Parts: sequence; structure tokens; C-alpha cells
Amino acid sequence: MRDADSFDDFYRSTSGRAVRYGYAVAGDPAEAQDLVQEAYARAWRQWAKLACHPAPEAWLRLVISRLATDRFRRLRGWRLAAGRTGPPPDVEPPGEDTVLLVAALRQLPTRHRQALALHYLFDLPVEEIAREAGVPTGTVKSWLSRGRARLAELLPGVTAEELEVNDVA
Amino acid sequence: MSRELHRYYRSLAADTDERVLPAPDRLRRSADRWARRRAAITVLAAAGLVAGTVAGSQLVLAAGPGPDPVPPPAGTPTPQPSSAAPSVAPSPTTPSPSVGRTPGSRSPVVTTTSPAAATPVTIPDRAFFVLPAANDAGTGNYFGPGPVLPALCGATPGDERVVTQRARSLPYRRTGAAADEVPSGTYRHSITIYRAGGAGAALAELRAAVRACPEQPARGTPPVTVRQRLLPDSGYGDESVLFETRTPYRDANGDPSGGDEVHLVRAVRSGDVVTVLWEQGWESTSTQRAQFDADSRRAVEAIRRWLD
Repeated sequence: MRDADSFDDFYRSTSGRAVRYGYAVAGDPAEAQDLVQEAYARAWRQWAKLACHPAPEAWLRLVISRLATDRFRRLRGWRLAAGRTGPPPDVEPPGEDTVLLVAALRQLPTRHRQALALHYLFDLPVEEIAREAGVPTGTVKSWLSRGRARLAELLPGVTAEELEVNDVA
Repeated sequence: MSRELHRYYRSLAADTDERVLPAPDRLRRSADRWARRRAAITVLAAAGLVAGTVAGSQLVLAAGPGPDPVPPPAGTPTPQPSSAAPSVAPSPTTPSPSVGRTPGSRSPVVTTTSPAAATPVTIPDRAFFVLPAANDAGTGNYFGPGPVLPALCGATPGDERVVTQRARSLPYRRTGAAADEVPSGTYRHSITIYRAGGAGAALAELRAAVRACPEQPARGTPPVTVRQRLLPDSGYGDESVLFETRTPYRDANGDPSGGDEVHLVRAVRSGDVVTVLWEQGWESTSTQRAQFDADSRRAVEAIRRWLD
């Protein structure tokens, strides 16, 4: 039996972070909303099991990551449902920094974007990112290092010298 | 750390926070509706497959060699091979995250285990408690600089032992308050990581600072005195310090109008981490103890889950 109250608490406490993560990974705010909603819909359908999961938010992030790399199939179902509920309310245009960052992130491989988002938005240490991604810590350090080096090339005000060695530790 | 990259990501986070997802009950209804529809389509597809298989096999048998079988009387139900019974197959688009596994072809095991007994050096969002729906003022919270304790005659208990600190302002609503009312109060909620052994010393210094500062002048016109005193406290984390700040209520002219405005502050230690909940009221409201205690427990529980 699924417990709606516990799901609602989970949803309220994590959805803000999930949308940030979706935006940083998918590179489009509307797509981020779509895929995060679908991830939560899937979470609710399996909430009886997922409620006992040791890290449901990490599970959610993995679903978001996979959906972000599989957009075509993902959008077909949810957009039909979203079409019935009307368009979302208008929001203000993003700030200049956000536009620059998202444009730069689009030039990075998905794995680099995921690692950077987990580091900068969730403050996760390298070990936890590695555990969540299922790769060695050295791989995560490489993703972070290369991702940041590329961002330093693409973003004004970010210099490679600023990125210290222990920035990835 | 790269300050500039942090600034870019903070900008992204701030812009994203303006985007509103549907309420959880609405999302649940949509998800259930889709699940029912997909299940119905799957059953229909399976039934169609069975019917087609049966019809096809009858055609093949009818065209085969041998004496013509005696046709069954009209109206006799056609037997169906039991092996072809329809079954509801799991949707290919639905991940199947059995507990302890993650969806998809790879199966990295996600766990929350942290390096044993290691004191963290960063404070993630999840270390901060979440208000239940009945107390959610709908304003979200704001992480930003500012004092995490009321003024205590200039004392700065534990400051020199701090490793890192994060603090937020969190408006809340008392249970039962109307949704369109202004918030019932605001919490200043901080989490501080101290060097090994420093958290206990910080709490001892906080106790001493409150004792040493029973009253002090507060800003205001006309001048007003704010009084502090320690209150007995137990049952929160490894140890806790609870104290109140008390100022006389004043009318619109600043004259005492009877009674005191009382705010509670509780600092709770969990290992080398201290979380402080400072209730600041909203337009001269005083702290409601039951609500404050309940939210203190939530704050401690969030710390415990983070550190476990």
C-alpha cells in the first residue's frame, strides 16, 4: 500500500533540488520540469517499494539522468497528460549568468554535466558522486576536472588558475 | 573552490526555483491515471495476441491432413491453451527499481553510507529539516548571511572553532492557521561544523555567554532592554542549550503595553555538529513552545539522517 503522505513530504522536500538538477543536466528549463514530473510520477507508481529505498532522492536523480538522455520516448506520454492540464504559468526569463552557464553546459558531455551538478548543487563529495554513478572516484575526479576546465574556457570570469587541485577532492 | 562557478550555479538554482511544479496530489492523480491506461492497453494487446494465436492455430489445424474433425456444436466455447493465458507484462517504459537497485541496465547500488565516523566538511541541503505541509508558509527558505544567534553582550561563542557553517531564514505557519494569513513566525536556522571536540566547547561557551548577559540594551526608540535567561532542556541530540530572549511589548508609540515578547533559541549538538533554531517571530509574535519543540526535533532528526 502506498503512503500518499510520505510521498507528498518527499515530493515537497526534494522537488526544488530535482528541478535544479534537471535544468543543469538537460539544459532546458521546460524540459527539466517535464522530466522531473515524469520521474516523480514513476516514483509514485512504485512508492510502496521506493519508500523503503535507502536513498530515494538518489534513485530519483538517476531516473532524471536517464530520462534526460532519452528525451524522445519520455516526452510522448507526459506531454499528452500535460496538455490536458494546460500550460504552466509564465515565469521570468533566466538571469544572464544562468543563460551563460546553460549555454556552456550544453557543450559538455552528459556525464560531466551530471557530476558538476551533483557537486555544485548538492554539495556531494566525490566519493558519493562515484557511488551514485557507479564508477571509480578517479573517473569522477576526471569528469569534474575536465568539465571545469571546459567551463573555464567558455564562461567569462572563470579562470583555469582559479580551479585549485583540491577543488575536486 | 571556484567562487565564480559557484556563482553561476547559484544563479541557475535561483532561476529554477521560480518554476513551480504541480501540487503533489495532482501529480499522483496524473501518474495513477497513466498507469491505469497503460495497464488497460497492455491487457487489450495481450488479449488480441491470444485471440490471434487461437484463430491462427485453428486455421492451421483445419488445413492439415487427416479426417475432418467433427465440428463442435454451435455455442461451445473454444478451449484456449493455458500456456497462452494473458498476463500483464511490465511496461517497458517503467523502470523497475527493486529496493537497493537503481533502474536501468547498469545496476550501481546507491547507498547513503558515509565514511564511518568522519566529520563532514560541507553541509548539504538535506541536512536542513523540512516543514510539514501544515506548517509550510509557502514562502520557501532563504540561505544567506546574517547572525545565527541573538546578540549576547558582544560574545561570539565557539566562533574560533568553526569549520563551516550554513544558515537560512525559514518562515513557518502554525498548525491550524489559515493559509492566507501572514506567516506565524520565522526561524533563523543554522548548522555549524566544529573542529573535533569544538562543538561541546561551543555549547559551554554559549551557556556561559547567556549567563553572563542577563540583560542588554536593544535597538529601538525609546531604548528598550532585552533580557536573556537559560531554560532547562534535555532530550535533544547529545546535549542542548535552550534560552529565551524577552522584551516588553510596546504600542505604536513605542510605550510598554503590558506583557513580554518572548523568543526561544535552542542549540543542539550532534557529535561535532551544532544546529541552532532561533525563533524570531513575525510582527511581534512570541514563540509557541509546542511548535518550537516539534521543529527542534525535526532539525535534530534531519542532522541525524545526514550524519548516518
